[in-house]
Amino acid sequence: MCDTCGCGDTKIVPVEIHDRILADNDRQARHLREHFGLDGVLAINLMGSPGAGKTALLEATARALGSRRKLAALSGDLATDHDAERLRKAGIPSLGITTGSACHLDAEMVHHALHDARFAPYDTLFIENVGNLVCPAIYDLGQRANVVALSVTEGVDKPLKYPVMFKHADLVVLTKIDLLPHLEDVSIGAIEDALAQVMKTPKMIAVSAKTGAGIDKWTAWLESIRRE
Amino acid sequence: MHEYSIVQSLIERVEREAEARHASRVVRVHLRLGEFSGVEPALLATAYDTFRERTICEDAPLVLDRVPGDDLILQRIEMEVPDV
Repeated sequence: MCDTCGCGDTKIVPVEIHDRILADNDRQARHLREHFGLDGVLAINLMGSPGAGKTALLEATARALGSRRKLAALSGDLATDHDAERLRKAGIPSLGITTGSACHLDAEMVHHALHDARFAPYDTLFIENVGNLVCPAIYDLGQRANVVALSVTEGVDKPLKYPVMFKHADLVVLTKIDLLPHLEDVSIGAIEDALAQVMKTPKMIAVSAKTGAGIDKWTAWLESIRRE
Repeated sequence: MHEYSIVQSLIERVEREAEARHASRVVRVHLRLGEFSGVEPALLATAYDTFRERTICEDAPLVLDRVPGDDLILQRIEMEVPDV
């Protein structure tokens, strides 16, 4: 039937989309950003290798800020609630996001977790991403700033080896500087040089969560971007 | 390796676009992929081949247009639609 009207015919057409593949994530991230804006929350996406000292940095942050700020944290790992537990012990209301096999957090996971967590009102949210220098870089979580924790024990050339992560960073926190005397081949200058090659506006703060060195600069930086 | 989750987002999007136009099949999918997109083309291709089975993308090759910058863009979908 229908030889004449052509209703059964098909044609192949190009449909122009020109949209980001992660557009759904971007939408969810915008939603989170609106919430953070309305609630006056400074949200930080904290990334870095496994063992870079992300959790220790937050513990030191809690010690330094005391009751001056109301902190909360989400911490992503493939399995276990260990980091969230450490943060709760440090006085930061926290919820772990176990991602199963996913190597990064996305905006939807953060959104769900915040609904589940029902934190008491807070003014600073640390989203401690899954330890990984690759995958988390490209997912917007609605944060005000991307911070990458880089430990001195990782050597000086991580920024060159993982440029996408460091290109996305607003700040690099160089951690574990108390170990520098034991590391002959590592200098802060060489790490700064590497960052200068990949970051648009290189910005680094060197800290030791153990001795507390530099933590005041880090908390001052947090206050400065809160005012921006 | 986040290429699998990217491919999932990609196929979901293609399915939505195809459904909206009553497409019977998708013929080709074009992406624009920046050098600093954070996505490895070979891994993306493998992930796509794994996930497209039994989806509307089953017979649709992926065409990657490599560009400078950090684009991760679904550029164009070629699809078969009713000729009305």
